Amino acid sequence: MEKLREKVRKLLADGKVAGYVGYIFKDGHPLPHLFTKERLEEVDRAIVAPGDARYPLDKLLEQLAARFPEAAFAVQVRGCDERGLNELYKWGQLDPEKVVMVGVACPQDQADYCECPGPWASVIDYGEKCAPVTQSKRVARIDALAGEEAFKEWQAHFARCVKCYGCRDICPMCFCKECSLEHADLIGTGIVPPDTTFQLVRAIHMAGRCIDCGLCEENCPADIPLRVLYKKGNALVQALFDYDTGSPAAGPSPWKFLGDEATLETKPM
Amino acid sequence: MADKEFEPKIIGFFCNWCTYAGADLAGVSRLQYPPNIRVIRVMCSGTVSPHHVLRAFQKGADGVLIGGCHIGDCHYLRGNFMTIKRMRFLQDLLKFTGYEDGRLHLEWISAAEGPKFAQVVRDYTEKIKQLGPSRLKRAAQAA
Repeated sequence: MEKLREKVRKLLADGKVAGYVGYIFKDGHPLPHLFTKERLEEVDRAIVAPGDARYPLDKLLEQLAARFPEAAFAVQVRGCDERGLNELYKWGQLDPEKVVMVGVACPQDQADYCECPGPWASVIDYGEKCAPVTQSKRVARIDALAGEEAFKEWQAHFARCVKCYGCRDICPMCFCKECSLEHADLIGTGIVPPDTTFQLVRAIHMAGRCIDCGLCEENCPADIPLRVLYKKGNALVQALFDYDTGSPAAGPSPWKFLGDEATLETKPM
Repeated sequence: MADKEFEPKIIGFFCNWCTYAGADLAGVSRLQYPPNIRVIRVMCSGTVSPHHVLRAFQKGADGVLIGGCHIGDCHYLRGNFMTIKRMRFLQDLLKFTGYEDGRLHLEWISAAEGPKFAQVVRDYTEKIKQLGPSRLKRAAQAA
């Protein structure tokens, strides 16, 4: 932890960044916090939050960057957060010149829980690299179900939805000012549970954008396995368009351009 | 009621320049096809959002047929490149959540292909009849 704190202290003291978005241990709780040069002593209490106390730091950074467009900020990133930064650069929400990463490598139990394909940041200031999980067992289980069973299972999950929009509100990749999920002509209003297509509309938007941080699923009061849906969406985008979501080498999102040729063919009836 | 044959509701999103004109040609050629299809004309199949397809299923469609120009013939040059990206993705996502293959179908039909249009609609209606009412509709009726 001291290595991470030292890096943050140096960044702040040298004026390289206006602030550091990380976690502080306060009143017995790990909380997201903006560390600044003016209160450098707080860095002594800067921590890497345990896996079950994560917050969407990318989203906090987006809001800061929107308010202070000229300032540079440092931010604590896990593998998923860094994938998020890469996507947000692509979608024009953050400027890579104005972001300094303080990287964390997740422990093995976290990577296993997340079924994370890349559980470390490209710079590591805390933790050791562990083994990534390349195949999601949760997705494979649904894939193996017959259509009728899969349908029943998903419908049972969707029927618990209380339409709290928690999945959207916590999502670091949800930055739109207008949201399809609030469009009365696309999603029926005044009913709970909402239309069973509610989660599918979100799944479409998350394809090629979801960084698999898993906060939506942890935040969901109805325990809907949203992560499985979005993991599948990303796997499809990878299979159909060869687009590796969150990778800096992936190029523009397949939804952003038409392409020079149609690489897919229609399915037979 | 039980012995009454199932008459599916099929929503068609057809592009103004090719498939809709193909439907017109089928009409003026007096080619017969089943009346189960309800057509929505769009300027380009590339304007059909996955939301529209999901909304159709939510509102009780048993099948959704998207018709666009053949690749290379798009009036807007490459609009249908986006159509196939979106619809292939949506087909696979729907399958993952338990929709049958074929509930969403994409077909390229040009303005000159009146007979093909009639045949596609006949075949697709038959296919949806075999699949039966959509699972979403059956679940809503059972509730």
